[in-house]
Amino acid sequence: FFHGFYAEETLVGNLASMSTSERIKAIQKMPETMKKKREIRNKVLKEITKKSRHRSTQLCCCTQCLQGIAVSFRRFGNSLSEYFHLLQLQYKTLKVIGAEFGTSVLSYFIFLKWLLTFNIFSFLINFGFLTIPQFLAAEPNNLSFTGLELLTGAGYFQQTVLYYGFYTNATISKIKNGPSYNMQLAYIFTVGLYFVICFLILLFSMAKSFCRNFINPQAHSGNASKLLCTWDFNITNEKAVKLKQKNLSTQIKEDLFEVNREVLSFSVRERVVCIAVHFASWVASLGTALAACAGVYFLSTNNLKLFVKGHRNDLESQAAMLVLPVVTSLLNAFIPFFYSWLGRLERFHTPGQHIYVTIARNIILKISIVGILCYYWLNIVAASESQCWETLVGQDIYRLIVVDFLFCLLGSFFGEFLRRIIGTTVCVNLGLPEFDIGRNVLDLIYAQTLTWIGILFSPLMPGIQIIAFSIVFCVKKVSLMKNCQPPRKVWRTAQMTTSFMFLLFFPSFLGVLSVIGVTVWRLKPSDECGPFRGLSSMYAAVSEWIEILENYTASKWVVWIYHNLITSELFFFILSTSILIIAYLYWQIIEGRKIMIKHLHKQIIN
Amino acid sequence: QELTFLSKQEILLAYKRFSELLPKEQRENACSARVPKSRILTLPELRANPFQHRICHVFSTSDDGDDSMSFEDFLDMLSVFSDSATSDIKSHYAFRIFDFDDDGTLDRKDLEKLVNCLTGQGEESRLSGAEMEQLIQNILEESDIDKDGTINMSEFQHVVSRSPDFASSFKIVL
Repeated sequence: FFHGFYAEETLVGNLASMSTSERIKAIQKMPETMKKKREIRNKVLKEITKKSRHRSTQLCCCTQCLQGIAVSFRRFGNSLSEYFHLLQLQYKTLKVIGAEFGTSVLSYFIFLKWLLTFNIFSFLINFGFLTIPQFLAAEPNNLSFTGLELLTGAGYFQQTVLYYGFYTNATISKIKNGPSYNMQLAYIFTVGLYFVICFLILLFSMAKSFCRNFINPQAHSGNASKLLCTWDFNITNEKAVKLKQKNLSTQIKEDLFEVNREVLSFSVRERVVCIAVHFASWVASLGTALAACAGVYFLSTNNLKLFVKGHRNDLESQAAMLVLPVVTSLLNAFIPFFYSWLGRLERFHTPGQHIYVTIARNIILKISIVGILCYYWLNIVAASESQCWETLVGQDIYRLIVVDFLFCLLGSFFGEFLRRIIGTTVCVNLGLPEFDIGRNVLDLIYAQTLTWIGILFSPLMPGIQIIAFSIVFCVKKVSLMKNCQPPRKVWRTAQMTTSFMFLLFFPSFLGVLSVIGVTVWRLKPSDECGPFRGLSSMYAAVSEWIEILENYTASKWVVWIYHNLITSELFFFILSTSILIIAYLYWQIIEGRKIMIKHLHKQIIN
Repeated sequence: QELTFLSKQEILLAYKRFSELLPKEQRENACSARVPKSRILTLPELRANPFQHRICHVFSTSDDGDDSMSFEDFLDMLSVFSDSATSDIKSHYAFRIFDFDDDGTLDRKDLEKLVNCLTGQGEESRLSGAEMEQLIQNILEESDIDKDGTINMSEFQHVVSRSPDFASSFKIVL
């Protein structure tokens, strides 16, 4: 008893000497009942008032002021976070999804919400900085509106703020000699700033995610952590709980069986056959991807010829413009089935490998399709003789996004609704469909990549994507609740979320950055439309502005920064070398720590 | 509010749900009343949870051992299961929940009961004796660092820290 009392005295003493926020956190972290925590806190407060009575003469009003400010700041922060919670839409929906299906399916919806916030942010800044000034200097629209424009994006929409071509290259000023708004600079800086902010946000979320989820010093995580930590306390539905228990027990039995099985010594012949089958299926999948790309390329060049030849606005040519997006979406929808069929033919060591290989093939397919489209847009459309090639590209992207969205809805209808009906009435062995997280997330990443490419050519594209994503969210949620069953395999959620974010960053965002970079630096904007008409490249607007600034002495520092930091290669060389050195040092530190962990491990055993 | 990880909103919501569990006469002094275990278990979040009895037992501060919970115990429970609780405190309480005989370590019997809870009571999903033995052997091999045949608190926390999913699955939100 005396020992416990002494320990408490030291605890109270320690807590009394901490700052207020640290003390609150420390008390929160104590694993005691609330009664005990309250006693400790009262004791600590008594200690503090005793101490402060001794020191009251020394407390100058400065510290008191600071303390008062800190307290009110904290209260303000608390109430702000409460209001923020109120605004959290879809909170109840997400909770219900998590309750019935577990955290793995929930991660898809959280990812969708995250992408939605990117689009909302982009739409707001584009609308605020680009569209509103443009409205002030708008030209009248002579074309008529037919319903088909919603699908094709051409026609009436061509002369609206939707596309790049409509934006003026003038400096807009409503009042004579009043403040003027340079549209060229606004366009390039808004788009550039948005991408820089996106880059930083993605980088930091990825880093945080890696930090949290990949602390895995040993090679395998094994049964123990799987067992002790997988119970998902979120699930509240009885049926779901029973199902999860059954799945868990099946999985445990399978794992035990696998470990028990003698290491099958494959004969040389069997191993050769295995490798040959793997090789053949990789060749088949890459071949299909190549064939798809060739088809898309051929169709798109055909499309361009059709468009440049005649500007007929009748129904036939409009419908012909839709062929390319429909074919692309069909390829995107059906080739993955072919890949999963291939995957079933092969024999993998673990089911995890199967999933990763299938996802890798799908990614390669989607990247090659987007890549070939970008190549087509940047090399062929930009050099063609059409009036306004950026608007053409914008229209192409608009059509792709709209058709992809429609196919997503159709896919949900066929894949889940009809499959459920078939599974429950006609062919009861199949059962309810499972929600295919991997494929759905890849679809989202593909749509987001298209939107990002489209921002330069059509500033309001994120707005369209916001509408599309919201509808997809509702449809997928309803379809999930009514048609699907919880996933059978334990899906390593945290690792998968990190991989999704990594996929979003690495091929998708960096690819978009390179496409935008090439467009801004190398391509010649069209002469008759858009904010950069007449310049040799979009970037020339910035260089011209810097030249103008050189004449003003007040802004010499901007010119200096521009010449010595942004355009100088030496600066970037030094920056990259120092980043590489720092990364190498950190890597060595990690290696050293791993060795230390091994030593400590051995020490504990002995 | 300073004593738990919950926000003011969550505490008010918890108060509302807690007072709904009480019979009408006691609702005014809900702060001091105790709710018997059978009524706590009617909460939808706990109803289907296989660890419901252990949760009530661990968080209850009642002296008669009947596992009834006062409002403060309820808040304690919600605080540990909330989103903002640290991983340390979650693993501390998870260890206490899994420790079926309350002896401070997870020995073979505790692990056996744990596996049975996780796989359910049905005939087909129960593990056979041999499978159970082997599974427990594997678990002890991996997590028992000092090789004393039981898993103590620090070994458990070490195992849990290697699994990043733990924090997000050890969560109950009202």
